[in-house]
Amino acid sequence: MSQPNQNSLDEPLKNILVIIPAYNEEGSIEMVVKEVHTSSPLAKVLVVNDGSTDLTSEKAKACGATVLDLPFNLGIGGAMQAGYKYAFEKGYEMAVQVDGDGQHDSKEIPKLIKALEDKEVDMVIGSRFIGYSEFKSSMMRRIGINIFSAVISLIIRQKITDPTSGFRAANRRTIQLFTIHYPQDYPEPEALVLLHKSGHKMAEVPIVMSHRVAGESSITKLRSVYYMVKVLLAIIVDCFKKSTV
Amino acid sequence: MLIKIQFFIGALSVILLIITFELIRKEKLREEYSLLWLFTGAVILIFSIWPEYFLSRFFSQITGIFYLSAVVLLAFMFLLLIVFHFSVVISRLSSQNKELAQRYALMELELREFKNRQSLSQNR
Repeated sequence: MSQPNQNSLDEPLKNILVIIPAYNEEGSIEMVVKEVHTSSPLAKVLVVNDGSTDLTSEKAKACGATVLDLPFNLGIGGAMQAGYKYAFEKGYEMAVQVDGDGQHDSKEIPKLIKALEDKEVDMVIGSRFIGYSEFKSSMMRRIGINIFSAVISLIIRQKITDPTSGFRAANRRTIQLFTIHYPQDYPEPEALVLLHKSGHKMAEVPIVMSHRVAGESSITKLRSVYYMVKVLLAIIVDCFKKSTV
Repeated sequence: MLIKIQFFIGALSVILLIITFELIRKEKLREEYSLLWLFTGAVILIFSIWPEYFLSRFFSQITGIFYLSAVVLLAFMFLLLIVFHFSVVISRLSSQNKELAQRYALMELELREFKNRQSLSQNR
C-alpha cells in the first residue's frame, strides 16, 4: 500500500490540512469553511470546536468539514495544538491555520503554501503590515502590535512585522514541534520565540485581512493591557527555558 | 496566658496529625500531598511541648520575637509552602487535563470516522 505521507493518487487531499479553531462561531463558520473549500479545493479542512455551546460543530459538519470536538473549552492554544496533533498523526506535510471568525481571506492560503515551499522556511506568517494594506485598527492595538514586533524582532534577530497574526502555514517539522510545545492563552507571538529557539526558520508574506464578520475579538480593550504584559512576560521566560529540539 | 496558648496550639497540632493520618489511611489523601501537613503538625507539636527550648532560648534569641509571634510566623511559613506546593500541583494537573481532552477529541473523531466507514461499506 501507499505511504501515508505521500500524495498518492487515491488520496490527493492528504498533503495540506487547514486548521480552523472555532469557539461559538456559528455565525461565520459556514462561510469560512466554504471559502476555504473554494480557494483550496485540494486541502482538507479541520474545524477544531473548542467546546462551543452553540451550533458551531453541527454547522461545520454540514459543510463537509472534519470536526474535532474538544470536550470543554481549552482556549485558543489548546485548540490549535489539538489541530496540530491531528495533522501530525494523520501524516500531513503542511498545516495552515485560519481563524474561524472570517477575518482571514482564504484566497491567500495558496500564497502562504507557495511561500512555505519557495522560501524553504518552516513557518510562513501572513502579515497585514507588509506592502499595501487597507487594514486599519485601533490606536491601542497598533501600539501593542508595534511593541510585540519590536521585542520579538529583537529576540529572534529577524524583522517580524505582524507577530500577532494567526494566519500561518507550517511545514511538518513545525507541526511536530507544536504537538509537543504550544503556548496556552495568546499563542501567536510566543510561538515565534519557541520556533526560533528550536532553530526553525520563518518568513512573512503580505496578506489582506478583512474585519471580523461575526463574533468578538478575543482581546477586548480592558484586557489588552493585561494581555500585553502577560505575553511579554511569557516571551521573556521563554528566553530562559531550555531549548526543546 | 502562655500555658493556655501552648495547650491550644498543642491540641490543634494533634488534631491536625490525627486527621491527616486518618485521611491517608482511608486513601482520601495521597501521601505526596500529606507529607507537608504531617511535617507541619509535628513541628508545631514539638514547639508547643518544649517552647522554652526551641523558642525562648533558641528562636527568640536569634530573632528577638516572642513565643506567639514566633508560632504564628512559623505556621504562616508552612502555609506558604503548602500553597506553593498546591500551585505546582494544579499546574501539572491542568496540563495533564489539556492532554487528556485533546487525546479524547482525537480518539472520538477517529471512532466517528471508523463507524461512518463501516456503515458505508455495510450499505454497499
